[in-house]
Parts: sequence; structure tokens; C-alpha cells
Amino acid sequence: MKKIILLLTALFLISCAAIPQTEIVGNVDLNNLQPLPTLVGYEAVPLRVAVAAVISPKGTVESYSPFLSYLEKKLNRPVELVQRRTYLEVNDLIEHSEVDIAFVCTSAYIQGHDTFGMELLAAPQVDGATIYNSYLIVPISSSAKSMKDLRGKVFAFTDPISLSGRVYPTYLLRELGFTPEEFFARTIFTYSHDEAIRAVATQVADGTAVDSLVYEYALARDPSLAEKIKIIHTSPDFGIPPVVVSPFTRPQVKAEIRNLLLEMADDPSAADALLAIGVERFVSIDDSVYDSVRSLVGVIPTSAVQP
Amino acid sequence: MMIKRIIQRFWTIAGAVSVRAKILGIVLGFIVLLGAGVIIQSRYALTATMTAQLEEQSVSVSRDVAARAADPILLNDLLGLHDLLTETLDNNPNVRYAFIVDPQGQVIAQTFEGGFPLGLLPLNSANPNEHHHTVLIQTSEGHVWDTAVPILDGKIGTARIGLSNASMRAALSTLTAQLLLTIILVSATGVLVAVFLTWILTRPILELVHATQSVAKGDFTPRVPRWADDEIGDLADAFNAMTEELARADDLRRDREVLRRQLMEKVITTQEDERRRIARELHDSTSQNLTSLIVGLRIMETNCAQCSAQSKATDLRQVASKTLDEVHDLSMRLRPRVLDDLGLAAALERLVHEWQARYKIPADVVIQLSERLPGDVETAIYRIVQETLTNIARHAQAKSASLLVDRRGDIVRAIVEDDGVGFDINTNHGERHLGLLGMRERAELLNGTLVVESSPEHGTSIYIEIPLMDRINVLLNQEQQ
Repeated sequence: MKKIILLLTALFLISCAAIPQTEIVGNVDLNNLQPLPTLVGYEAVPLRVAVAAVISPKGTVESYSPFLSYLEKKLNRPVELVQRRTYLEVNDLIEHSEVDIAFVCTSAYIQGHDTFGMELLAAPQVDGATIYNSYLIVPISSSAKSMKDLRGKVFAFTDPISLSGRVYPTYLLRELGFTPEEFFARTIFTYSHDEAIRAVATQVADGTAVDSLVYEYALARDPSLAEKIKIIHTSPDFGIPPVVVSPFTRPQVKAEIRNLLLEMADDPSAADALLAIGVERFVSIDDSVYDSVRSLVGVIPTSAVQP
Repeated sequence: MMIKRIIQRFWTIAGAVSVRAKILGIVLGFIVLLGAGVIIQSRYALTATMTAQLEEQSVSVSRDVAARAADPILLNDLLGLHDLLTETLDNNPNVRYAFIVDPQGQVIAQTFEGGFPLGLLPLNSANPNEHHHTVLIQTSEGHVWDTAVPILDGKIGTARIGLSNASMRAALSTLTAQLLLTIILVSATGVLVAVFLTWILTRPILELVHATQSVAKGDFTPRVPRWADDEIGDLADAFNAMTEELARADDLRRDREVLRRQLMEKVITTQEDERRRIARELHDSTSQNLTSLIVGLRIMETNCAQCSAQSKATDLRQVASKTLDEVHDLSMRLRPRVLDDLGLAAALERLVHEWQARYKIPADVVIQLSERLPGDVETAIYRIVQETLTNIARHAQAKSASLLVDRRGDIVRAIVEDDGVGFDINTNHGERHLGLLGMRERAELLNGTLVVESSPEHGTSIYIEIPLMDRINVLLNQEQQ
């Protein structure tokens, strides 16, 4: 009899112990729904910086955070990073003054400049030059030697209006007498260059064309990529993707930021910020640098292809 | 003390119910106890497992959402963000809510429709370097595991996912309900089986009870079948053996009883015959001789007047006369002729008359008999009344007595009463006890009864009843034999 009582007591205690012992931090009625408080404006109007999706959104945040912090400190006002999936969306933001300055692709600048008067602010200088190239890359195991060997394969474009990622490879195909639709079995858009590299490295795509700056940057970050991909073609030099402003940005702001950018290289506290985005210094640049690209963009209709 | 009382109460109840109820109690008790144990243990195990799973799921879902939310947040794709949360909610039944908070603490996407429970917001948060942070929240819908995961090290916000334990509770309820149903079904089956087993078990016991009752009534014929090769079967065998032994002993006892009765009858008959013979001898021979002696002495008295022997003869004649009276009296008491010649009524009237005369105790006599009774009945009643009157005279110190004899149908009844000192009828020794035994023996030899009612200071009544029909049958039977 006593044993049975003991056994039952033990079972009861065990069942009690089963009740979660985690401390309850609060009590909420999930059905008592109230309107969320409306967004209260920031104390100071932030400087909005758009970065076109040359690299993936997360990569952009990581790379540009020190740069944006530097701007914040120097301008003594909050800086907000704005990203969009496509270059065109960023161009729209600039056109409608929804951002103050923007890092855009070369072809996006040409389109913006020619359609609504997007203005050059400065250009990054890398390895002493303000040029970059488009690399045609394939998996390390690929037997392709040039673009014509990629016939019937899967090709990854970056952005529809990217110079290095779409305009130049399309131009190469045009030279061979094909359109991408005729030449490739399938084409995909990755919208950023690092994603395009990843697509080739994982052999989701058989080839892609990417920004040489992004390629070097990606390789520096992840040296193992060198064992997965190889460059089979390098484009002629193109004018480097610039920093631009909207035609409607106030001249004082424009001047203030331009001076800040141009003087960055002389400020030791800006060294980390520049290093993070792989830029030696910012320099002034003239629109004529992009004329050679203009002729390329002229033959490849960028607005005709939409994702 | 309390436990002792409970145990006592238990025994009171358990002792009062039948074996069937006890066995049912054992079966049901065992099943219920086992079922309760299984339910408790299962609930415990399931709760522990599911709680761990829920917490794990909370973390994995939150990490997934946080990872997938980064791009839509960075690209300001609020619709994509909302779709992501809604999908998460749809694909994970345990997820009660999901929302994204930006670094400023603003909710930028959420799954509540038409508002937001504002109290939820401050309850959980995650530091930028934390993998995740899970807390338990009590809500209107039960416990919710709320996990916060920083998105991109908290630079662009925090994902908050709440997993409800509702499905866990539902699973527990289902399990409990199923187990309860099982217990009920098993109990029902158990009751049926127990009833059947009890029937098997109690059937031989009930038969034993019936057989025992028959034996108690003197019927030794019933035998109990040996239903099973177990203890109860052994009991049945032992019972049968006992019954046979009892039957044998009873037969023996009956034989001896018959023998004893026959012997008693013989004794009484012989005694009566002997008394009758002696009485007749005294009357016919001794009395005649004494009468002759008296006559001779009278003649001698007359013939020798003035003789010296005259006075001597007179004395002798008086002695002889007295002796003759005593012989008459003796003869009368041994066996009154009047009983044989005139019957019971006359004999009793004369007996009481002489008894009154001798002991000076007034007595009422009522005798209503229209015809003679069988001789042995008359003798028995006469002797019983005679003995009773002697007892009254000797012991009762009565002031009066009464005798009633009548016949009702086939029963002859005699009642002798006195108003004397009475006695304790439970006494089982002494002369009176033996006298009573003899009287009862006489009545019972004729299948009659004798009842004595008496208590000190309240007089004594003796009721005798003797059936005539049986007696006639017995006589007829004896004649036939």
C-alpha cells in the first residue's frame, strides 16, 4: 500500500516537473490589436545614399558601413543607405530626388545623364586609374576559351542595364551575329555581380560577365574562388562607375559632399572607409570619359530588356 | 490516525460487498491505476519532447526568417517582406505570429491583420552579437515561445517569431482523450471478463451454500459437483465427504433412536403389564386370602366368647382389614382396574378424587371425552397426570389445581395447572428433572408433545398433546407389518 502511494507520488512529481520551467517574461493579449504608432520623422533630415546593386544587398551593407559612418561624422547628420534591386530603380530614385547621392553603374549613369541630366560628382580611383573592365568568367572545369564556346549554355547576366554584366557580353554576341536568346539555352539575371560569380562558382550558370572591380574584391575576400572560376576574356577599358547626384540636388550640398569625397584620401580617419569599398581616393571626372561606353550602349538597347 | 481511519473505512466497505464486487473492484482498480500512470507518464514524456521541439523549431524558423528577410529589408521590398512572413506563418502551423522590427524599434512588417498587440513589442529583443534570444510569453492563447534574431548583426533590424504551444496542447488533449477511451474500453472488457470469472468462481461457492443449507435442514442427499481442479474443487470434495459422513452418522443415530424407542416402549409395556399382573394378583388372590382370613377371624371371635383369645382375634381381624385396605390401595395405584374397565375419564376422576381426599388440595376436573381412546394413549395420559399430581402434592405447596382433558379432532389434549411455587424449568438435574424427562418420553413415544411452563412463584402448567391419527396409522402400519 505504502509502495503504491510512493509510486503515485513520484509519478505526480515527475508530471509536475514536465511543466516548462522557463520563466515567463510577460503577458500579452494577442487579439487586442491596436494601430502601430505612425513613423515619427528623424530629428535631422538624413543624407540618403543609394548604392546600386553591384554587389548583393548584404555585401553592400558590410562594405559601405564604414564609408557611411564617415560621412555621418563629417556632415554631422544621419546618413541613410538606400538599396534597390535593379539599377533602373536607383535611377528613378535619383531622378525624383529621393536620394541625395548615388553610386551607380557606368551604363546607368549614361542612361541617367542622357534621359534626365544625372550629374557626375566624383569617381573612385582604383590602382591609380578610373577605369574598369568586364571579365567573361567560366567555371574552372569549363573548356570554353571564348564567348563562342558558350553556345547552348546557361549564361548569367547581372542587371539589364549593367555595362560589364549585360551590355558588353551582348555586344560580344552581336559581333558573333547572335542575340542572347538565340545563342544561349537560358539566361538568368542575378542583379548583382557577386551573385553572378557565385552562380558560376556553383555551376548554376556556365558563364557570366562581371565588373572587374567586384571580381578582384570578391577574390580578395574569398581566395578559394580562384579554384572554382577563371577569366577567359577581358573587355577594353571602360570609364569607372561614378558617384552621381540628382540634377535637383542643391548646389551647396553638392559642393560640400564633392569636397568631402575629394579630400577623403588626405584624411587618415577615412582610410578604413576607403579600404572597405576598395577605393584609393575619389577624383573629379569629366563626362567625356564615358563617350567610348556611350557608343557601346548606343547599339545595345538597355531599356528593351526587363527582368 | 487519519490513514488508520481510511483503512478502517475501506475494510468496512470492502467487507460488506460480495466477492463479485471485490473482484470487479480489483480489476477496475488495477486498470484505472495503470491507465492513470500511463496517462501521466505519456503526458510528461510528450510534453518534454514537444517543448524541446517547439523551442528548437522557434529558433530554426526565426533564423531562417532573419536570413531571408535581409535582402527585402535592404531593398525596401516591404511586399516581399510581408510575403515572407505570411509564407512562414502558412508553412509552420505552430507559428502564431512573425514581425520585423527596424533598429529604431519600428515594426516594418508583421502578420497581425488590422493592428498590432503593442504589449508584445518590448517583451523580447536580441543583442547584435547574439545568435538568438528566446523567451516564454503568457498570452491569451496559451504559452508562446518568442524568439528574436538580429538581422545582419542588428544593423537593419530584428526578426521576431512567436510559436504557440496550442498544437502541442491539442496533441496532449488528443492523446489523453485516446488513452481515456482506451481505458474505458479496456475497463468495459475487464468488467465483462471479471463478471464471467466471478461467475465461474462464485457458482461452485453458491452451490456449496445451497447444499449447506439443505444439510442444515437435515437433507443429506445434495452433492456438490467438482467444477474445477482448484481450491474450491478441493472444498467441494471435502464438503461431499463431510456430507456422506454426516448422512452415515445420521442413519446410525436414527437406527439407535428407533431401537431406543422400541426398548422404551418395551420397558413401559412390560412395566404396565407387570403392574397389571401384580394388581390383579393382589386383588384376586391376596385380597381373597385376606378376606378369608378376616372371615375366619370373625368366626373365631364369635365362637369363642369370653375366650381369652377373643380380644386377640379382634386385634388380628382389625390388622387384616387394614392390610386389605392397603392392598386395595396398592393395587389401585399399580394399575387401577377402572382404567381398563371404564376408561380414562372415570380413572382420572377417581384419581383426582382420591388425590384431593388424601392431600386436602381442591382440584377442578374437566374431562370431555365422548369415547374411549387407544389403550396406550389412555395409559400414557393417566401416568403423566398421576406423576404430575404427585409432584404437585410433594413440591408445589399449591392451594388449588386443575385438570382439563379434551379431544379436538385427532388430538387429545391434557392440561394440568397449579398455583404453587413453581420451579426453574431450566434445571437439568435432580428428581424432578428425571420425572419430567420420563413424562416427556411417554408423550413422545406416541408422537406427542409435552410442554412445561413454570417460573418460581407463578405456578406450573403442563400441556400434553397426543395425536390420534398418527397413532392409528402407526397401529395400522404395525398391524400390516
